[in-house]
Amino acid sequence: MLLFAVISLPVLSTPVFEIEIRNHLFFPSELTVPVKSLPALSTPVFEIEIRNHLFFPSELTVPVNTKVKLLIINRDSSAEEFESYELNREKIIPANSKGVVFIGPLKPGVYPFFGEFFPKTAQGKIHVNEQ
Amino acid sequence: MLINSVGIILREVLEASLIMSVLLALSHLNQISRSWCIGATIMGLIGATLYAVNLATISSLYDGLGQEIVNICLYVLIFIFVLIIVKTLSQKPKAKLFVFSMVVCVAAAIVREGSEVIIYLNGFSSIPELFTPVLIGGAIGAGIGLSVGVFFYYLIINLSAVNAYCFSLAILILVAGGLMSQMTQLLLQADLVPSQSVIWDTSWLVSEHSLVGQILFALMGYEATPTMLQVVLYVVSIVITTGFAYGSFKTYKKAG
Repeated sequence: MLLFAVISLPVLSTPVFEIEIRNHLFFPSELTVPVKSLPALSTPVFEIEIRNHLFFPSELTVPVNTKVKLLIINRDSSAEEFESYELNREKIIPANSKGVVFIGPLKPGVYPFFGEFFPKTAQGKIHVNEQ
Repeated sequence: MLINSVGIILREVLEASLIMSVLLALSHLNQISRSWCIGATIMGLIGATLYAVNLATISSLYDGLGQEIVNICLYVLIFIFVLIIVKTLSQKPKAKLFVFSMVVCVAAAIVREGSEVIIYLNGFSSIPELFTPVLIGGAIGAGIGLSVGVFFYYLIINLSAVNAYCFSLAILILVAGGLMSQMTQLLLQADLVPSQSVIWDTSWLVSEHSLVGQILFALMGYEATPTMLQVVLYVVSIVITTGFAYGSFKTYKKAG
């Protein structure tokens, strides 16, 4: 029961197309459907850059109750670990490279994050506001 | 910087040293040579170095999710072999499989935790004024982590045999739960399972920032704000491991 509830949680709306049969003919006789419904495309993407062990931007606002993709770009010549206890996320971003972290859906609030390797300077916050 | 590096290295070393100490204690109880640990450590360190050196390449695989996929595989691998260890613990004819499973567990745990240590230290090698304090801090952290492991080892082998088995099995059960909990987080982080909302928040009780929170995390995968999937998989893995442990314990008692 529990497992079922977990799996059935995300409801992605499936496009519906109607075909009518009248006088043994299909109406419409031709229809166009999307190639593939890519849920990833609808996920908002936010970029965070790491430069000189600082996050740019250090504060950002993301939509409430929405899955969000963070693209973290490390411009430093040393690795950094993006970490947040509040977001339950932890990922090493190697030197001069990018990393992807999905977060949410989040309730309204403030979610601090930090760079575990340079925590004194690499600090940031994600704000989630009421709609 | 020094204090920070103590904390980071301690956390990584503690997780691996806890598994290692319990498995060494079980070897001692089963009168199996503990020399397997040397090979496992060497293999783990080689694996950790290879992983650390190639991290940038691995990370960029699968649309930037390579790191999560490798770590998920490591967690699942350790989990499966923890189960085999618990299952074969008191079966003398399966001693070879028991030892092999311990080697895999320890090596994989060192790959997982060791690679982070190497990446962390390597990042500072280009910053000379910080490298020395980080190395000193790292050495202190590693020292504390290994000491806790040694403490656990002697604690277990000085218990009566029955208590020692119970205690070791209890730790392995919690470790197994923690592994699955961390694996679930990575699945969510990489968007490989449908995203989930947090179902409760116990950060008011034990914050993950606190020392107690960190110790509970290392020991049993404590999570202040878990998701439903995480809780379900945690409970399922605990139940399965406990079932195996119970069977093993009964076999052990029968054998006297």
